[in-house]
Amino acid sequence: MRFFKKTTWAPSLRRLSGLRREEKQEDIMGLTDASGDLAGEMEVDAFRRLFPLRFYERHLLESIRPDARPLGKARDTTMALGAVASADGSALVKIGHTTMLAAIKMEVMTPASESPGEGCIAIDFHMPPICSPLIRPGRPAEAAPVLSKQLTDIILSSEMVDLKELCLIPGKAAWMAYLDIYCLDADGALFDAALLSAVAAFSHLCIPAVSVNDEGRVFAISEEQIEGKSLKEPLNKGKRKLTLSCTPLALTCILHKKYILADPTAEEESIMETLATVVLDMSGRLVSFYKPGGTFLAYTSAVQDCISLTRQRVKELQEILTEAIADLELD
Amino acid sequence: MAGKSSTYSLKKQHRLKKPLFKDLVDWVRPDTRGFHQCRPAFLRTGAVNAASGSAYVEFGSTKVIVSVFGPRESKKAMLYSDIGRLNCNVSYTTFATSIRGQGSDHKEYSSMLHKALEGAVMLESFPKTTVDVFALVLESGGSDLPVVISCASLALADAGIMMYDLVTSVSVSCLGKNLVLDPITEEESYQDGSLMITSMPSRNEVTQLTLTGEWSTPKIHEMARVITTTRWLRPYCDYIEDEGHLRSTCFKLHPELRPKNGRGKPRIAAISEVPFSSGEGGA
Amino acid sequence: MEVDRVDGRTPNQLRPLTCSRNVLNRAHGSARWSQGDTILLAAVYGPKAGTRKNGNPEKASIEVIWKPKTGQIGKEEKEYEMILERTLQSICLLTVNPNTTTSIILQVVNDDGAVSFLENYVMFKMAYLTKKVQLLPSAINAASAALVDAGIPLKHLAVAISCGLEESGSVLLDPTKLEEQKMKAFAYLVFPNSVASILPEASLQVEGELLEHGMITSVTHGVMSVDSYLHCLERGRSASAKMSDFLRRSLQSRVPNDLPKTG
Repeated sequence: MRFFKKTTWAPSLRRLSGLRREEKQEDIMGLTDASGDLAGEMEVDAFRRLFPLRFYERHLLESIRPDARPLGKARDTTMALGAVASADGSALVKIGHTTMLAAIKMEVMTPASESPGEGCIAIDFHMPPICSPLIRPGRPAEAAPVLSKQLTDIILSSEMVDLKELCLIPGKAAWMAYLDIYCLDADGALFDAALLSAVAAFSHLCIPAVSVNDEGRVFAISEEQIEGKSLKEPLNKGKRKLTLSCTPLALTCILHKKYILADPTAEEESIMETLATVVLDMSGRLVSFYKPGGTFLAYTSAVQDCISLTRQRVKELQEILTEAIADLELD
Repeated sequence: MAGKSSTYSLKKQHRLKKPLFKDLVDWVRPDTRGFHQCRPAFLRTGAVNAASGSAYVEFGSTKVIVSVFGPRESKKAMLYSDIGRLNCNVSYTTFATSIRGQGSDHKEYSSMLHKALEGAVMLESFPKTTVDVFALVLESGGSDLPVVISCASLALADAGIMMYDLVTSVSVSCLGKNLVLDPITEEESYQDGSLMITSMPSRNEVTQLTLTGEWSTPKIHEMARVITTTRWLRPYCDYIEDEGHLRSTCFKLHPELRPKNGRGKPRIAAISEVPFSSGEGGA
Repeated sequence: MEVDRVDGRTPNQLRPLTCSRNVLNRAHGSARWSQGDTILLAAVYGPKAGTRKNGNPEKASIEVIWKPKTGQIGKEEKEYEMILERTLQSICLLTVNPNTTTSIILQVVNDDGAVSFLENYVMFKMAYLTKKVQLLPSAINAASAALVDAGIPLKHLAVAISCGLEESGSVLLDPTKLEEQKMKAFAYLVFPNSVASILPEASLQVEGELLEHGMITSVTHGVMSVDSYLHCLERGRSASAKMSDFLRRSLQSRVPNDLPKTG
């Protein structure tokens, strides 16, 4: 269903439907006869565009969503590790149509004097104009800085990556991991997809083998050089993979009246505005419960339901992640 | 973030036998291609669901995604216009190049993309409105602009924007005595001169020809021979013909553009003429 | 549960609150909110004609502008703006003034201590943990008082509270900066104010729970167990009742003086 594609026709449909509003409602109430011709289809489509909320509530009554998902089910999720060859670690993640490309580039820095034995992670989330019709070049999306802040917050506070592992020479050199996440297609639940892609990129990350020259500058050495043993031992031998503990994973839910819709699409997000994002780590601890306002209030039962939905989802995502890593090792 | 200024990216110790290209006639390209051979390509339309039309193209390690939005309302500040507008933007991801970049817009490529597509799109078919063509280079592996242009024309076709023909593009690098087709970054960095040609294959028309660097007249003649004999102008269309559904996507909205008879003969003559005249102008 | 707090408060005790309304002359509504050493000034302008870009013309839109004590706004402030915007949108009756924009400007006057921007990236994590919990709840309280002062139609007030979770698992309400440093996690929660109504209590309940028990906004930092979070939720709820009493008192006291500001 290419929802946005029909945007251009909205004005004419609006005019058309103004005349026959009542009939239309009856149509959607399940009275459409079996004629099922093109005209009938247009009517449902028009109803969807004109009264989106009623269209959705009618579906919710039947515990189903327009894309045929049950309320608590997330969309199909796929993952490809190592999508970008020019980065040290990368992953492409798709949740439904929402597509995220995350890549990590490692650079060397002098660690801060407060923490000489630690490296750093800098996370940036980008929404280029290709991802959504609402974003124009030159005017960055409002959501992008907020999301990069949230991602930084979650990834650092969950302590998924031990920053000490990013140290090369204490006080002299440490890694700065630049994680850039690009949204290639925005269709709801951006935070979930972005976090998943970030986690996947970290699990794909292979830190380049380096050595240090007489001036104290770190340089990369190639695989042949390591094997040829023509040079001194690489500086970070055996430390080229990060050990990831307590990986955080997220699920966004819509709260609408008494319904909870997991993993919303962009259309659902625009119609029902109360969102809650739960982040749990692998051991089931709560990393974040994020609900920025919204018309509907979250009562304890809803909070608990969201958390248990997230628990299930985290298990699913974990499996997908493990599978992707196993596939990578096979190659 | 703070500290950005103090980081540096790793320098590989270059052990490459550097300008191996220069004077030898029979060197091997880094990816073992023939001089007049394109990189393996992968093309797919409908990559971005949120866009009206989109395409993803991979040429070797060059990966590009293009979204087309519209026709939609022009910016408020724009004056009335009888014909539609084409708005192009090319940007790079921060990790596209080997050294981490800023991920900013590429102004030069944006305007070149605009010029390359302008002649092919039937602007009069969407008066007063704008079609936005946004490209993002996910990974840069050389010949970026030609790949962006070809990808953009696929995306425009996917969006159902009326065009006279698909637009295909390729670049040729002059390396010492040799001409290499579809150069990769490494070859581009050693080139003496480069040429990019953008054409509408079914109509035998060139929409853009850019010539930079050092070209001698005999080289231009040779280049003209190369591009007319190696059928490079048709890689995308060949591909599309192989993949029946893609071709139908391209032409589903303007079947009148479907080439009627066998392709080939007149084109060669036409193309060999165009680069000649333009090439001499540039040289 | 006895925890000795540096300033001698009990775990459930809030810092001293003051709220004064109508402190700015030119704004349509304003409030000054202080909570311990945290002081914020909120000004409301509007409703002005026209919605924001891409706004729904059938509803009023709310715009929040955050002014930090020093320096320019960065990603953190953008996030505050977004959270405030969404939170205030949910307490306003947006359909009363369709196609208008109400701007709320929040000026940080004092943020309990000296932590401003730390250039050091490594300290970044610490820096926002301490900043956030201090400012956001106070900002929400200040903004909702200013909205009342401006006469913007509201469904109810937003009462914000911050909870700190200690290593031992006990919850401290409204922690100061000094205390925050020792905490492992925070939750700051926003609830509707308690309703004083002549209606029978049952009619105010939503699915067996009081309206004021529903949470408008929740933002957390740091890792905690799910049970601790639910515990925070409960403690926050009971504290919000006190806070909403305070708000009610301080807002009512001004009503007789509320003469038209302009002739």
